Amino acid sequence: MNVKWLIRSQSVATLAAGMIYPYYLLFLKNLGNSYSKYGLAFAVFTISSAAVSTWLGPRLDKHGTRIMVISSLGMMAAMFAFPWTSSYTLVLLLQLIMGTCNAMQRMSERLLLADSTEFVSRGITIGSYHFWTSIASGFAVILGGLLIDWLTINALFYMSALLYGVSAWVVWRASRASLSRKAEDTITF
Amino acid sequence: MKKTIALLLLIALCVFQYVRTSSPDQDPYLTTDYSRLHPVKVERVVAGKEEEQLVRLVKDAKRKGLKVSIAGQRHSQGGHTYYKDGIVVDMTSYNKIIEVDSDAKRITLQAGATWEDAQKAINRYGLSVKTMQSLNPFTIGGSISINAHGRDIRNGSLISSVDSFRLLTADGQIKNVSRTENAELFPLALGGYGLFGIILDVTLDLTEDEVYRESTLLMDLSDYVDYFQREVLPNPAIKLHIGRISVADDSYFTEALAKNYTVDPSLPLDKYNKLESNEKWVAPGKLLFNLNRSTDWGKKLQWNLQTYVFTRQSDHIISRNNAMRAAYEFMDYSQPGANDQLQEYFVPLDRFDSFARRLGEIVKEDKLNLLNVTIRYVGKDREAMLSYAKDDMLALVCLFNTPLSEQGQRKMKDSVQRMIDEVIAHDGSYYLPYIAYPTLEQFQTIYPNYENFFEQKRMFDENELFMNYFYANYGSGRRIEEVAS
Repeated sequence: MNVKWLIRSQSVATLAAGMIYPYYLLFLKNLGNSYSKYGLAFAVFTISSAAVSTWLGPRLDKHGTRIMVISSLGMMAAMFAFPWTSSYTLVLLLQLIMGTCNAMQRMSERLLLADSTEFVSRGITIGSYHFWTSIASGFAVILGGLLIDWLTINALFYMSALLYGVSAWVVWRASRASLSRKAEDTITF
Repeated sequence: MKKTIALLLLIALCVFQYVRTSSPDQDPYLTTDYSRLHPVKVERVVAGKEEEQLVRLVKDAKRKGLKVSIAGQRHSQGGHTYYKDGIVVDMTSYNKIIEVDSDAKRITLQAGATWEDAQKAINRYGLSVKTMQSLNPFTIGGSISINAHGRDIRNGSLISSVDSFRLLTADGQIKNVSRTENAELFPLALGGYGLFGIILDVTLDLTEDEVYRESTLLMDLSDYVDYFQREVLPNPAIKLHIGRISVADDSYFTEALAKNYTVDPSLPLDKYNKLESNEKWVAPGKLLFNLNRSTDWGKKLQWNLQTYVFTRQSDHIISRNNAMRAAYEFMDYSQPGANDQLQEYFVPLDRFDSFARRLGEIVKEDKLNLLNVTIRYVGKDREAMLSYAKDDMLALVCLFNTPLSEQGQRKMKDSVQRMIDEVIAHDGSYYLPYIAYPTLEQFQTIYPNYENFFEQKRMFDENELFMNYFYANYGSGRRIEEVAS
């Protein structure tokens, strides 16, 4: 897989995440009357993320890109669903899904990054990856604030969902291209 | 190279945002109200929770010589809810429903409860509030402190539907106040802008929830008063009414919409009385309203859409409780350095045409950004000492978008003073919960009871414990400019 696609897709995913993240915290705080309740929502996120990682681990090598696509699609669904949640239990459920997607995204990202790089030249690629995803996050936060000022926090969730959709598409397209390359290589051999 | 450009771009964007949001109205460490004007440091904000806590707070503040201001949702715009170095009592957490007496058609609730809370509590009994603002997020305590009014055209201003309340006064005593008990405080604390004490709980008279048919007519503004007097007022079936004046270029102050809610007893209440949210189209509504703020074509688009949607909604069936909870989230506005500011002018019916004409002219001459004008009727009601309804009045509620800069505010102040001169010339009055633009002389002319009101304030609260900028500006004997500086 070409690393450029990985950087692009994950920059878009970071854009989607970065756009929502600080405002999402505000949104959650408004839901809970206490900080403890708000803390619980995040604990649920980490529990599902940790739990799913043990299951994902052995499957990661074989299905890396697929897992990445599913994580973006899962986040897209969660972002679409957030404005419609009407109870704290549903929020916990979404936190559960998002924790799962987070594990999928983090693990496949590391795998694909490792797959796409080689010893000695790894640092440059990892640096580049970190740079572009961080920059995307910076733009995202500022854009997110403007969007809420002009529209609503719900609109921000939908925008984030669309960006997750784009990132899923970019990964899917790259994985198809890489599959067909592999097929060509097989024929050549 | 690409990386440097991206990084510089992000840094430039951050610097731009920093500069853009560095106006004083955006300082999170200062307190202000809905106007975002005149932010100051307060001693502390205390959430009201228990009666004993509030009594203790008042006594402590008195002993330490601190000032106390009382805040609900802080939608007033003239510094009525805070004072420099004083304590702000945030009553929004003091919000329990105490009792609904469905036989007597009464509700008793703590002052920090909102109209939304009240509606939720009484809807199941087939009851409804008599008078409130068009929107329901405001606290009951705040609303009676400004003696609010709204779309109901049959029940006067809010004071008429208050049966009694309990008031925590400056000496730390709790007094029952009604038209028969401690009656002298009734017309003072209601419409008293938080100057006579902390309103703890309130008993309101209710009316029956009903089913209405909405109907909206587009007409020439010059026909509006005649229509209202001939068709609306004499028809007892019309219970709620609201008018709108166009601020779009091509129909500016010449077109109006009149919306009536007419009771239809043939429709069963239980089919229509599920409380509904009106906040269904917030994002497009907010975008549209932002265009209305920013451009002339946005104003035109807004008016055309309103006309289309409202006239199409004619014959829409709605319960009274649902009609009294209009959408408002689309008006949220947090842009730095500018804000929406309300002004409200009351004029007798026979002076309405001439006043509306002058209002339109002044707005145009002074190039003000007027976002919308709604019209409400309020019957003569002189019960509150600072009553605005000296006669049967039509209120013009004007929403302006204004810069918060010193220069922008000076310009707005001059324009408002011009408008108030017209109010005076038309035997009208203006509403007091808004920014202290009017001169002291204008205030005193329109509210001739001011002397008595402020004398009584000092009698009940000799150390001026309950303090805010409304009192500082108009009642304390200090000049407005001194207070503002």
